[in-house]
Amino acid sequence: MNTQLLLIQVFNGLVNGAFYALLSLGLAVIFGMLRIVNFMHGALYMLGAFAAFALGQLLGLGFWPSLILAPLLVGLLGVVLERGLLSRLYGLEPSYNLLLTFGLTLLTQDLVKQVMLSRFAVSSAPYSPPELLSGVVNLGFVVFPKYRLFVIALSLVVCLLTWFVIEKTRVGAIIRASTENPVVTRAFGINVSLWVTGVFAVGAALAGLAGVLAAPIYSVEPYMGAELIITTFAVVVIGGMGSILGSVVTGFAVGVLAAVGAAVYPPIANTLVFILMALVLLVRPSGLFGLPEGAR
Amino acid sequence: MNKTRTAILALTALLLTPAASAQSLSDGGIKVGVLTDLSGVYSELSGQGSVKAAQMAAEDFMKANRAYAGKVSVIGVDHQNKADVAGNKAAEMIDRQNVDMLVDMPTSSAALAATEVARQKKTVAMVVTGATTALTNEKCNKYTFHYAYDNYMLANGTGTAVTKRGGNSWYIIYPNYAFGQDLNRQMVAAVQENGGKLAAPSDATPFPNTDFSSYLLKAQSVRPKIFGTMQAGNDLVNVVKQYNEFGLKKQGIGLGIGLLFETDVAALGQDAFSGAIATVPWFWNFDARSRQWAARFEKAFGKKPTWAQAGVYSATMQYLGAVARAKTDNSDAVVKALEGYAFDDFFARNATIRPQDHRVLLDVQVVQVKGKSESKEAGDIYKRLNTIPAAKAFMPLSENKCRM
Amino acid sequence: MSAVSKVGATRDPARVTRAAWLIGLGVLLLALPHLIYPVLALDILAWGLFAVAFDLLFGFSGLLSFGHAAFWGTSAYLTAFLLGHGQSVPVAIAGGTLGALALAVPVAFLSVRSSGIYFSMITLAFAQMVSFLALQWTDLTGGENGLQGFARPSLLGLDFSDAQLRYYVCLVLFALGFGVAYRAVRSPFGQAQQAVRDSEQRAQSVGYNPARFKFTAFLLSAGLAGLAGAMYTFGHGVVSLEVVNWRTSGEVVMMTLLGGTTTLFGPVIGAGLVLLLRDVLTTANLPVGIVTGVVFVLVVLFFRRGVVGTLQHWRRRR
Repeated sequence: MNTQLLLIQVFNGLVNGAFYALLSLGLAVIFGMLRIVNFMHGALYMLGAFAAFALGQLLGLGFWPSLILAPLLVGLLGVVLERGLLSRLYGLEPSYNLLLTFGLTLLTQDLVKQVMLSRFAVSSAPYSPPELLSGVVNLGFVVFPKYRLFVIALSLVVCLLTWFVIEKTRVGAIIRASTENPVVTRAFGINVSLWVTGVFAVGAALAGLAGVLAAPIYSVEPYMGAELIITTFAVVVIGGMGSILGSVVTGFAVGVLAAVGAAVYPPIANTLVFILMALVLLVRPSGLFGLPEGAR
Repeated sequence: MNKTRTAILALTALLLTPAASAQSLSDGGIKVGVLTDLSGVYSELSGQGSVKAAQMAAEDFMKANRAYAGKVSVIGVDHQNKADVAGNKAAEMIDRQNVDMLVDMPTSSAALAATEVARQKKTVAMVVTGATTALTNEKCNKYTFHYAYDNYMLANGTGTAVTKRGGNSWYIIYPNYAFGQDLNRQMVAAVQENGGKLAAPSDATPFPNTDFSSYLLKAQSVRPKIFGTMQAGNDLVNVVKQYNEFGLKKQGIGLGIGLLFETDVAALGQDAFSGAIATVPWFWNFDARSRQWAARFEKAFGKKPTWAQAGVYSATMQYLGAVARAKTDNSDAVVKALEGYAFDDFFARNATIRPQDHRVLLDVQVVQVKGKSESKEAGDIYKRLNTIPAAKAFMPLSENKCRM
Repeated sequence: MSAVSKVGATRDPARVTRAAWLIGLGVLLLALPHLIYPVLALDILAWGLFAVAFDLLFGFSGLLSFGHAAFWGTSAYLTAFLLGHGQSVPVAIAGGTLGALALAVPVAFLSVRSSGIYFSMITLAFAQMVSFLALQWTDLTGGENGLQGFARPSLLGLDFSDAQLRYYVCLVLFALGFGVAYRAVRSPFGQAQQAVRDSEQRAQSVGYNPARFKFTAFLLSAGLAGLAGAMYTFGHGVVSLEVVNWRTSGEVVMMTLLGGTTTLFGPVIGAGLVLLLRDVLTTANLPVGIVTGVVFVLVVLFFRRGVVGTLQHWRRRR
């Protein structure tokens, strides 16, 4: 493989990695605080994309307002979900939360399909990049769409911002404290359950943001998150559940590795991430950045 | 002269036979089982619309053949795109509900499972929405007929037409599973037979796949005249979306599509697809006869028919016609009446049913997707480029592997 | 787990009621193919055993596998492959089951070192790998066309094209598999397994090695899931990619929960209910995804004991 092709695949991989990173970051944020794995994350991603479409169709809003509004809407739905459903299962095995979100995923996908069919007479939706970012730019070694460069950049900014807030600010300190010891944190007069809801909403909004970003380049259809979420799970296992930074780094790294691997040997593309996962598990059962089980 | 005589003969036959024919129905009636996808990914292009189409056929048939009035009924069953459900429901419909004929059957694995049951239970099955050529090759059987389209016809039609129109250098990508591999093989053969060449060897893409950027970048560098995509459904929508994003159309690289459904065009809007070339068995505004039927369907169902739904109507009608000719619904007799039968209806033009493999041969249309500004009315998405005659549209018997 | 029944209890009245239940259910299973379409009845047996196998891991070991389709599907494909290559029915079924068991060894080795949610995601990822392999390896699986029309050669004068006969053959296999599960749960091994589930530290302190118990339980569960997958192929005569899909892994979880975990027979009831529902939905004008989604959510939120668990709970409180 020559250097040019390698560089091209690195860029392609960064785009995919941007989505893995945003999604696994959301999963990590939610897992860190609530100790649950949100199977519905893929469905929230899909809802983000459909929200952008619906905002355009119903209110005539373009890409930029949707980029802010659609994640907010998905975050709001996150509040409803957490307050209305998930909170009923706290104190039980975390498995039940996984199962609940699995059921919600089945329900949401088909509900979106039916609503789209009855409201817009299609089950998948057209969506194009904004005027400002349409077209391609010459990077010297390749001609690459502007919009994809924007996706990489925005995703990086959002990921770093989230990391900064959680690791370096007072807000982050409260979140970390509520995670490590909710009882003591409550004793300091902090309303832990409010923070739990907030964190879930932020995690959901991150998935929604990924969805809006995906809408102009990927097919917007009810099952678009289904396969992606399973790959994201593998990314999370590789990175380890303990670390915010780990989820971001692994997200981008897996995206790039998978793209380069696919260029070398195409049939492996879909399984590469799972092979990586098996290898990592052999060496480090708690993932690359994760803390050993007992330490959590 | 000759025509009038045939017509008179036919009319007399019709008038003389009714009492006899209606009595020789196995259970006093004919039941058509529409085995389809009522809730999943194919439910828009077949689904309830297919059930409606079969019902229309039953009503039209009963109106034209008074002896069968009140004797033909239709049931729709959701196979949920699962092969086991399809097989199980096919068997149950035949055993318990006295279904005499199965029709539609999207999803290759479900179609093959149901036609295997049809073979065991000696019941006629007419596959319309299932695509696999296996149905008329290694998995063919005495009771199964393949209507409308298949891999061979799609690839052969588009490959030949596009190459002949000057699109003589191709770069093809195909999803790496049997359907895609098959389609690619046929497409490459069609391109080369017509004097075209491959600008680069075809590439297998993972399946399912969302991101096709590396292949689009490769297309940018090898500069073929035509970028051929053998993807289907959502993968196709992804390819076409990104084809536009990478600006290939502006660089003069055309788009050749292996399998295109009306629903795919609706998913992205016409403009994303405009200029793309594909092969279809039928489309609703193809001529006056088609329009007339489409208008009736739209009135009854509320939406324009897809070719899959039109095909279900035609297949059901041909089955019922064969029952009338055989004067019985005994499957062996009906199969005999269908084999070699030549007909021409609004859907299947210049059609014959090939006795050797039960492929229904019909004229097929090579179409180009219109831009939004070119369409004259809602749903007007295709411009017809040319018609491939029935005799040339499908796999020749010399390549066929069917041993019935 | 909220619905832990006193499986180990050996008081006499409980034993009598249990025997009565088992006999009642036995009679129901004998009559089933006369009450509903035989192939559907057969499906209930296969999925029922699959759910029992899953519950050995989930209910009795506390490990939620989200990738059990891998074992069920591998066996289903292998059985079809062997039948298609002229092997007899017993050889094909045994071959499928052993294949699932062989696959379980590396998967169990890598996954039982984790627990909780982690375990679920790892099993899911492995199942996904199997699913991609099944799509690619068309010589063995037929790819998206699937496998159908393979022979089920007659044996000792038994003609397997008769669905009722197939049902009763499967009933014997089911009884065999169920008996193994029953014995496993009641044996000292099963007691130790549940001790490990309830408190790993305590189990360790009395000399059990939790990892070894989980490993053995995983193999047992995968083997039974394999037997169930072989029954499925034998029963339907059709295999498609659906058998290795992640939805299949989810469906078996739903059946188990609906019937009631750790109730041994509950998962079979759950399987029956889900399959009957799915059958009704083939002709009802309701999207199957929405209905199953709603059932799933309601069961997890309000009905975690499941049908049999609720009955037991209700009886005990009286």
